[in-house]
Amino acid sequence: MSYWRTGSHTAGWWLAAALALLLVTTYLGGQIHVRVVSPQSVYFALTMTVGMLVGLWAWAWRTPSRIGKLMFWWPALLLAADLPSAFPESSLASTIGLGLIVFGYIVFAQMALSYPTGKLLPGRLAWIYIFILGYLAQVVQNVVNMLYWDLSDCPFCPPPRVPTLIHIGAAPFSLRTWNNAWFMFIMAILPIGLFLVYRAFAQASPGTRRSTGPVLATLTFFTCTSWVYSYVLLTDRYNALTPLSWVQTTGALVASFTALIGLGMTKRARGRVGDLVVELDRAGPGGARRALSRVLGDPTLELALWLPVRGTWVDEEGREVTLPAGRDRAVTLVGEDLAAIVHDPVLLDQPALLEAAGSAARLALENERLQVELRAQLAELRASRARIVQAGDEERRRLERDLHDGAQQRLLGIGMALQLVKSRVGGNEEAIALLDETELEVQGALTELRELARGIHPAVLTDQGLGAAIRTLADRAPIPVEIHDTSARLPAHVETAIYFVVAEALANVARYAHASNACVTIERRNDRALVEVRDDGVGGADLNVGGSGLRGLADRVGALDGKLRVESPPGGGTRLNAEIPCAS
Amino acid sequence: MRATVLIVDDHPLFRRFARRLLEDEGFAVVGEAADAAAGLAAARELQPAAVLLDILLPDGSGLDVASTLAKAHYAPAVVLTSSRSACDLGVALNETPARGFIPKAAFTGAAFTELVTST
Repeated sequence: MSYWRTGSHTAGWWLAAALALLLVTTYLGGQIHVRVVSPQSVYFALTMTVGMLVGLWAWAWRTPSRIGKLMFWWPALLLAADLPSAFPESSLASTIGLGLIVFGYIVFAQMALSYPTGKLLPGRLAWIYIFILGYLAQVVQNVVNMLYWDLSDCPFCPPPRVPTLIHIGAAPFSLRTWNNAWFMFIMAILPIGLFLVYRAFAQASPGTRRSTGPVLATLTFFTCTSWVYSYVLLTDRYNALTPLSWVQTTGALVASFTALIGLGMTKRARGRVGDLVVELDRAGPGGARRALSRVLGDPTLELALWLPVRGTWVDEEGREVTLPAGRDRAVTLVGEDLAAIVHDPVLLDQPALLEAAGSAARLALENERLQVELRAQLAELRASRARIVQAGDEERRRLERDLHDGAQQRLLGIGMALQLVKSRVGGNEEAIALLDETELEVQGALTELRELARGIHPAVLTDQGLGAAIRTLADRAPIPVEIHDTSARLPAHVETAIYFVVAEALANVARYAHASNACVTIERRNDRALVEVRDDGVGGADLNVGGSGLRGLADRVGALDGKLRVESPPGGGTRLNAEIPCAS
Repeated sequence: MRATVLIVDDHPLFRRFARRLLEDEGFAVVGEAADAAAGLAAARELQPAAVLLDILLPDGSGLDVASTLAKAHYAPAVVLTSSRSACDLGVALNETPARGFIPKAAFTGAAFTELVTST
């Protein structure tokens, strides 16, 4: 049976199994031998056997096995402590019984305080409760009773009735008072244990709560019956012991099964990891976080992805994040340098679940990281394209300024100097003619220079803004151009782009459209500048025909994340639309 | 008495030649300024009869300077000039209180005299 083989059967486990068998056979064998077998004692023996079997199962097949060990030991100890009822005349049974009495309950409390991982609740209080008030105090109590207990004259007292092997005689103090004080002590500390478990439950993750819930209910019941049991012993109401034993034995049976069911619930949560795989497969970007958050039951769960290119952690949007270092968030790493799940620290109660979910999500996370990387690269590419265009504009503006301030000013100076010379040569006709000729040449050079500078960058745009620049363009066009401009001022790079769009469009109108008039509209809508140039010409313009100049415009607009559209049916005029984002 | 002129332009080369051309025309160039602020200050102090004013000044527009000067009690005759053509300067040129505009490429003493003496 493969299921059997998947369990982990250590030497300790085999020893425990053997001990369980020995205990049950000895207990029942002894009772049959002395003919004290009663339905109640058989019920008790069976319940403890079931408890031990459940513990053995959890010990071998649950990881970590700690909780299984605790689940095994508490019924085993309870059964062992009741051996005197099977061997009422045996001093050895008395010794074992008195030596182990109550320890089963302490182990049960320890199990409840460390459910479902088997690791005791963090904090000093739980440790003190179990190890000082529990085990240590009980050792003292049991040793005292082993030394002094002799109630052979008390027919109603519960066994053992014979002195233990280390019995030394009557106590030098009232054993009865001692034991009554002890019962009161137990009645006092029982609620503390309950309080500790409830507090841990309140702080646990939803997953842990699901599996702890049933155990908590049984523990509450068990604590109450134990309290009543102590009260019964304290007040000598021995006739209440038998019905109470039935109740408590049933409680123990339920406890074993609820612990088992609780563990099954952890397993069910892990079963949902299967759903996770399916869900991740269907999920789009950001789906990994949602799916993990749902499966682990932590709505605050966040993901961090490691970007080796940048050497930083980023979220699913590519924003840089730092992993939290505090105690209110926990970090579980997935893969080597792949991702980190940032979650509620209570999930650390379920390391196996976390690990399984992480492994299942690995491929999706790998994918998510690729997408983030791709998006980051795209954004970088887009930004660098915009930067290149802007740097180009800046360079052209500088060049125009240089021509204007340098060569142009010198030529202007020469022109004025020529006039000064002309007024000083007197009546020399030949010289004057020569000077006139030179002046014409200078004017020609100035005109060419100005055209060149205007082509490089329109000075009017820098000096007076888009509105004036567009009007200048319209004035220069050979046909009437209507202008509707409601945009006010826009960012410089947007204005430059719009200027070139309108300039190129109007140039095309003049060159190819045979239009009788054109219309330019510029407006700002939300964070976008909208430009339209339309004419009533012959149409037929095409964005994708090389060398039309439109392709270059589309690139320029695209560099600013904008869009350029041309509608130009043959004979139906041309309509050019540009949309440029201008978030300032 | 010769009419006084203030030249406001950020290019020293232009100021140098313009001064000579205007002096040839019989004007007395009483001051030069390289930007709008200095031009307004000089005008206030010198109260010239005419101002030759560049439109594109490093600290502002000559058109604004012209508007300010038009409100002064001595109200000088303002002649605008620029290395750009009237076409490049747009419609703003039509709304200025200045006497007129001469592109630098076409600047002559005669053109200046004509604008200043016109009424």
